[in-house]
Amino acid sequence: MPLEIKIQRDIGSQKTGAVTVKLTGSLDTATAPELERQLAPVLAGPVKDLVFDLAQLKFISSAGLRVFQMARKQLKERGGQASFIHLQPQIQEVFEIIKALPGVAIFKDTAEMDRYLAARQRSHQENH
Amino acid sequence: MTLLLHATPGEVMRAVEVLQEFGKAREIPDKTLFGLALALEECGSNIVNHALRGDPRQEFQVAIEHTGGALIIELRDHGPEFNPTLVRVKEPTADDEDQPPGGWGIQLVRHYIDEICYTRERGENVLRLTKKLAQATGPE
Repeated sequence: MPLEIKIQRDIGSQKTGAVTVKLTGSLDTATAPELERQLAPVLAGPVKDLVFDLAQLKFISSAGLRVFQMARKQLKERGGQASFIHLQPQIQEVFEIIKALPGVAIFKDTAEMDRYLAARQRSHQENH
Repeated sequence: MTLLLHATPGEVMRAVEVLQEFGKAREIPDKTLFGLALALEECGSNIVNHALRGDPRQEFQVAIEHTGGALIIELRDHGPEFNPTLVRVKEPTADDEDQPPGGWGIQLVRHYIDEICYTRERGENVLRLTKKLAQATGPE
């Protein structure tokens, strides 16, 4: 199963400055390198909040989780964060089994994510 | 069913797709099949990336067997001796955010597979993964 990657800015109802990465298909040993390649220019920019929308992600292995961890670590170094939304039950179970990404934000829907990102944006603005 | 595969990530996923079709044809539940597919992906990737060092000229073998009460995946490779059942996995803690990812694969395999059996036979690593099936649907 291939992996389709769509990278968009401000997908929610509010302009939060977040970049959303929508993944469709399978994030595995064959497709993880392509996600890493497409994320590189995004992470090279000033983005602080990266949201992975996994609504259409059917399969994930440790190869895919390593890409998430790499992104999370780079964002954390600049005070940013990786978040996850719309996890299918089998994908959520994989996250839980290996406790791979402690401290990441996982949201059930866009409204919940919007509220969180808007609050983060306000916090960033107040601190600058 | 036995597959002879080249040591590439694409070939690992070809084996996973064959497994998924094999399981669907035998009405194995999606959740069970997801775990089996993940275990095959992790073990196959380990062979490709470590045992065979990503050399696409090298080959490894995957056999899939349905016994009615269980689905068995057997992987064979000619790489250096490596027994994944002996790998120790560090238990992550809540404040351990930068833990290295090593060991994630074997953790997932141990979660989804009921029996993991390793033997070294005539210069081959032989890894046998057995998943017991809740409902027997008849042997082949």
